[in-house]
Amino acid sequence: MSRGQRILQRIRAFELPIERFVDIDAGRFPAVFMATRNLSRSQLRSALACLGICIGVLAIASLGIFGNVLSLGASDALGDIGNQVILTPNADAGIETIDDSTLTEIERAAGDTTVVPLRTSGGLIEYAGSSTAATIYGIAEPGGVYTASEGRVPDRHRQGALVGASVAEELDVRVGATITVDGDSYRVVAVLEEVETFSPVSPNDAVMLPEDDVGGPGYDQVTIEADSGAEAAAAASAIDTAVNSREEVVDIFELSAITDEINDFFSLLNSFLIGLGGISLVVAGVSILNVMLMSTVERREEIGVLRAVGVEKRDVMRMILVEAALLGVIGAAGGVIATIGIVALLYLVAPIELWILLHPTNAAYLLLAFAIGVAISVASGLYPARKAANERPVDALRS
Amino acid sequence: MTAIELRGVTKRYETGGHTVEALKGVDLAVDAGEFLSIIGPSGSGKSTMLNLLGLLDAPTEGEVWLDGIDATRFSDSEATTARREHIGFIFQDFYLIPTLTALENVTVPTVFSPGGPARDRAAALLENVGLADRLHHAPNELSGGQKQRVAIARSLINEPNVVLADEPTGNLDREIGERILETLREITGQGVTVIAVTHDEQVNEYADRVFALLDGVEQ
Repeated sequence: MSRGQRILQRIRAFELPIERFVDIDAGRFPAVFMATRNLSRSQLRSALACLGICIGVLAIASLGIFGNVLSLGASDALGDIGNQVILTPNADAGIETIDDSTLTEIERAAGDTTVVPLRTSGGLIEYAGSSTAATIYGIAEPGGVYTASEGRVPDRHRQGALVGASVAEELDVRVGATITVDGDSYRVVAVLEEVETFSPVSPNDAVMLPEDDVGGPGYDQVTIEADSGAEAAAAASAIDTAVNSREEVVDIFELSAITDEINDFFSLLNSFLIGLGGISLVVAGVSILNVMLMSTVERREEIGVLRAVGVEKRDVMRMILVEAALLGVIGAAGGVIATIGIVALLYLVAPIELWILLHPTNAAYLLLAFAIGVAISVASGLYPARKAANERPVDALRS
Repeated sequence: MTAIELRGVTKRYETGGHTVEALKGVDLAVDAGEFLSIIGPSGSGKSTMLNLLGLLDAPTEGEVWLDGIDATRFSDSEATTARREHIGFIFQDFYLIPTLTALENVTVPTVFSPGGPARDRAAALLENVGLADRLHHAPNELSGGQKQRVAIARSLINEPNVVLADEPTGNLDREIGERILETLREITGQGVTVIAVTHDEQVNEYADRVFALLDGVEQ
């Protein structure tokens, strides 16, 4: 049998009346039993109502996941910068460098965080006849901050050069080679691992030399690296009190401020996208309301008979709510499956990392969309159910 | 023993700004196992009387007694329970549910009961009315007479004291109507009261008593 024939056969199977392949235990689930039978009588109408919910759930779930993927991707690219505080000399007050006594105060105030003083300059790097411009950092203790892809990053940097990944690639430098930095020769002790996240002190296009070999005295920048954003904020305020109380000596820049703003933006974007999806789900809810209302009006006499022969109001109501809920569950399940398909397609065509798509928060969006889809369906069934259940059987049967 | 009773029942409706008096002080007592036919022209108040006897509607004045209990002021829920436990209905147009089989239609009054649908009893009742080979047929696969027999079986599923029939022979030809009436006659043999509202003179041949109604008053 060809693939096409198999699919056709499956579609035909679904066109069979529901009682041919679903036999609900009427004893245990009388409302579900009655509801499935009722839905089976106008399958096209039921299917279209399901389709509405399906599309609504698809819209909420896929837009929600889309926004979430953007947000996760962005915070991944930003890395840990929220945990960093950058201190620079306050140029407005005529201070050009951070001196040793200020650094001591900073280190005392910074607590358990890693304090990395830097000297910065720029220059030409030459090796084997080719050359490139690079940032030159003077750094005393690079071991806590950087890792090597080749060679070893010393805890205390006394001699030799650490070469950033881009510089090393461009000049084709390996550990053990001798490069010329601004006219002085250095042996390469390590090539640094490429850093992909955004960072104010990016090592990729830089060469790191021992502290005393670059500029001085004093430092051009001090980076504080904490374990969390909260710790970074605490360190920043402690430093501000200790160092800047008499005079504004250093500018304090907390990167968590940027990440907070970026996160705020993404949560706004996400709410907006979900709101858009929500509108389509509300439209779908209206179509369920319409279908249920039509169906209860058509079955007016039938419901009157049920009430006459002793079926309670609440059972009639339950039966109709179950119908609406079934439409919702089937539609929402379809929407979830369609969303998974679209996300899989997104993975194939867009450069998104798998772990971002498989992140548990995305599953939460799927569940949320499913729950909202079912809830809207049930809510839409409430009015028709009440209307049908509250009609007096004598009125329903008079016509 | 009196199974069901109307005491001085009056029923007024408000329609289009003026009041219609459908029943005017009607008294009726029907014994257990009695076959009563209520006859009268259209608009005489027959249907109103059946609705009151079936606890589907409440009288404006007077009382309705069922099995020695005053059912006049029953709440909706009490009336529903009383209908389920004591009364069987046979409607003029059968009113079978098209998505359910004959057997399932008969079980409908018991579907939501705690014990679940009485399938075995439904099958036995369908056998009694000669539909043993039609249990799993949908209503649209049954003839008019067969549908009416399914409706009779449905009215008996709860072992009612009273069966109310609205034009039980209405849309059926004479021969089939006779068989339906014979079936109803048999039911009364088991102590069940049968009250049939009809235009059909044929019904009176089977009834123990005829109650004639004209303009809301007994003749």
